[in-house]
Amino acid sequence: MDLLRHWHPVCLSRELTHRPRRVWLGGVPYAVFRTDGVIGALPDACPHRGMRLSTGRVRGGQLVCPYHGWAFGPDGVGKAPGTPQMRPHTACLEAVERDGAIWMRRPGATGPFPAVGPGGFHPVSVTRHRAAAPLEATMDNFTEVEHTGAVHWMLGYAPEAAEAVQVEVTARPDAVRVYNRGPQRPLPAALRALIGLGPADDFIDDWTSYFSPVHTLFEQYWIEGGTEARRPATVRIGVVYTPVHDDVTDIYTFVHTNAEGSGPRALALRLMLRAFAEVEVRLDASLLGRLEEGRGGLEGRRLGRFDKALRLQRQRIERLYRGPA
Amino acid sequence: MGRPRRYGRAVTRETTETLIIGAGPSGLAVAACLAQRGAPFTQVDAASAVGSSWRGHYDRLHLHTARAHSGLPGLPFPEHLPRYPSRDQVIAYLEAYAAHHGLQPRLGVTVRRARREADAWAVETDAGGFTARHLVVATGYNAVPRRPTFPGEASFPGRVLHSRDYRTGATFRGQRAVVVGNGNSGAEIALDLWEQGASAVTLVLGGPRYVVPREVAGVSAQQVSLAYARLPRRLADAIARRTTRLALGDLRPWGFREPEAGPITEVERHGRVALIDVGTIALIKQGRIATLPGLARFEGADVVSPDGRRVPADVVVLATGYQAGLAAFLDGADAVLDDRGYPRWHGAACPPLPGLFFAGFRNPATGALRESGLEAERIAAAIAGR
Ligand SMILES: Cc1cc2nc3c(=O)[nH]c(=O)nc-3n(C[C@H](O)[C@H](O)[C@H](O)COP(=O)(O)OP(=O)(O)OC[C@H]3O[C@@H](n4cnc5c(N)ncnc54)[C@H](O)[C@@H]3O)c2cc1C
Ligand code: FES
Ligand SMILES: [Fe+2]
Repeated sequence: MDLLRHWHPVCLSRELTHRPRRVWLGGVPYAVFRTDGVIGALPDACPHRGMRLSTGRVRGGQLVCPYHGWAFGPDGVGKAPGTPQMRPHTACLEAVERDGAIWMRRPGATGPFPAVGPGGFHPVSVTRHRAAAPLEATMDNFTEVEHTGAVHWMLGYAPEAAEAVQVEVTARPDAVRVYNRGPQRPLPAALRALIGLGPADDFIDDWTSYFSPVHTLFEQYWIEGGTEARRPATVRIGVVYTPVHDDVTDIYTFVHTNAEGSGPRALALRLMLRAFAEVEVRLDASLLGRLEEGRGGLEGRRLGRFDKALRLQRQRIERLYRGPA
Repeated sequence: MGRPRRYGRAVTRETTETLIIGAGPSGLAVAACLAQRGAPFTQVDAASAVGSSWRGHYDRLHLHTARAHSGLPGLPFPEHLPRYPSRDQVIAYLEAYAAHHGLQPRLGVTVRRARREADAWAVETDAGGFTARHLVVATGYNAVPRRPTFPGEASFPGRVLHSRDYRTGATFRGQRAVVVGNGNSGAEIALDLWEQGASAVTLVLGGPRYVVPREVAGVSAQQVSLAYARLPRRLADAIARRTTRLALGDLRPWGFREPEAGPITEVERHGRVALIDVGTIALIKQGRIATLPGLARFEGADVVSPDGRRVPADVVVLATGYQAGLAAFLDGADAVLDDRGYPRWHGAACPPLPGLFFAGFRNPATGALRESGLEAERIAAAIAGR
């Protein structure tokens, strides 16, 4: 299993200050740091005697080990002040700061960069939430709308309307797409007015999952009941699932909207979206910690019509993400 | 409009009040404005669908001008689109635009020659001839790729292609890529190659050029340009130069050079709009995309810069721009074109050649599509007399 051939977000931009930070990917710790606008990422064990480099500090473009002062650049090339002729070096990773997160992969890997960025939309927020669940089980939650009625406040469909929700699954060799359409769950009138919805609108949740790295891109919008006219408001959400350990997954959520302008309504809408994303993802993350079975496996489970995509996604995770390059 | 007449060998000749060449955004806008005024016209395009230049663009492309300021006369972009619509969304918009105005351009008709006769225009196409009182040329300022050749190119073992033939970086995953040209296409193609997993990406910078982010704090570069357009040029230049530096910092350490003239003058005199950055600069600053000051020659499997730096490459994308190619079909073009081959009159009659109008040959910082719309209104008013 070779996770490092894919790009993964390992922390948010705002979580990486001038001090180095210890991050985990696939159960392995790394030290990430900033220097002169460049992001460095090294295994978090000094090649000398194994000190955590993430507890050191950054000076002169290098990460200095707190134990004996050996220092390493983002390219892994180091120096040992006490033995200048020695050229110690450590493995290094390729790191980049984009879309509000710090990303990492092995140098020379050719995994594509996931399209979670604005793509013409207006950025709203970027968040990280930790779920005490394996990657597969975490993804299951984000790619099935049956739970939304019970778990969420605003997102998805009311429990009593779940039966009317349309689920269309399309499988491609490298992607799984799901189209959901159903009645928008009841919202306070003020909130409806803010988004620009009528009382009988349908909510469309149209998403596609990709597997290098494992991520899902959601497009959410509304159609006016009766006229079939599409409402102006569109929300675009990218979710990347980073396996921190076997049973711990970080959920990176990149929220965008087409609501533009600096008027009070656009501002209020973006603030509302930001709060909404924070609350709803937090609900998912804490819920996932209560799953009983280790990997959240599907074997022997009774699956419903909303769960069709889950099996397709697992096959692709095995083949495209965990499998050989 | 005009009755076809048949000559000896199935060659037809039609008479029409106004002939519009091109069914890209500019030609469609002129057609819509004429239709709205009830003025008769015929429209032809060489391609098999409207908006052909956009169909040919690379997949990653989005408008870098906001949709609110990029719509053509009579139909705005749909409100549910993002602020910067994607290539596919622009194509869908152009189709909807033609349908909305009931436009039915004759497709698959290439104009070979147009010349002024007595008091009308005689236009030859590969599907017969036209006689028209007014001729609207909307064939695009990017009709013909500008493709320089380099010493040593013939023995370069890798692939060399013009940006017109580039669709997606997925084709070049794992390859070492060099992109030539610091215009919008070059910068975005370099970004696309990097995103799609090219193993190394180098951007070859051409001459001096300003670089601005697509937007700062929600304000687009285009909106800023629209504001500048109302200021005296000297003042606008001074402010623009300052803010440009503030926005992305000093890029000289990466080989970028700032033009002598201010940003506004650059556009007006040399037709060089600023590079509108959609994320390439951040990757250059983080050392993920390398830069070279220029491309002097190929040597074996390497490209070599004028200062002797070598970069091995599997693929070289020439984002070296386009030409209008007007002289190829327009008789007497010399009288109406400048030394770069672009019309000297825009959206108005050309005094040396009566009845001739050019639409869509300007690329101002305020947005080419927006400009096309404004020109179309003026052309239609001039032709229809209202
Ligand atoms: C990569 C790129 C990105 C751009 N992004 C923006 C943007 O974000 N915002 C903006 O405002 N502008 C943008 N522009 C500029 C401009 O808006 C577009 O180029 C636009 O397509 C120009 O429209 P047009 O109708 O003038 O030309 P075109 O779209 O090129 O249409 C010309 C048409 O004429 C036809 N034609 C040419 N020669 C003949 C002939 N001899 N006989 C018959 N038919 C012929 C062609 O088939 C074509 O369909 C961009 C341009 C490029 C190249
Ligand atoms: S352990 Fe890091 S310098 Fe010795
Ligand atoms: Fe959920």
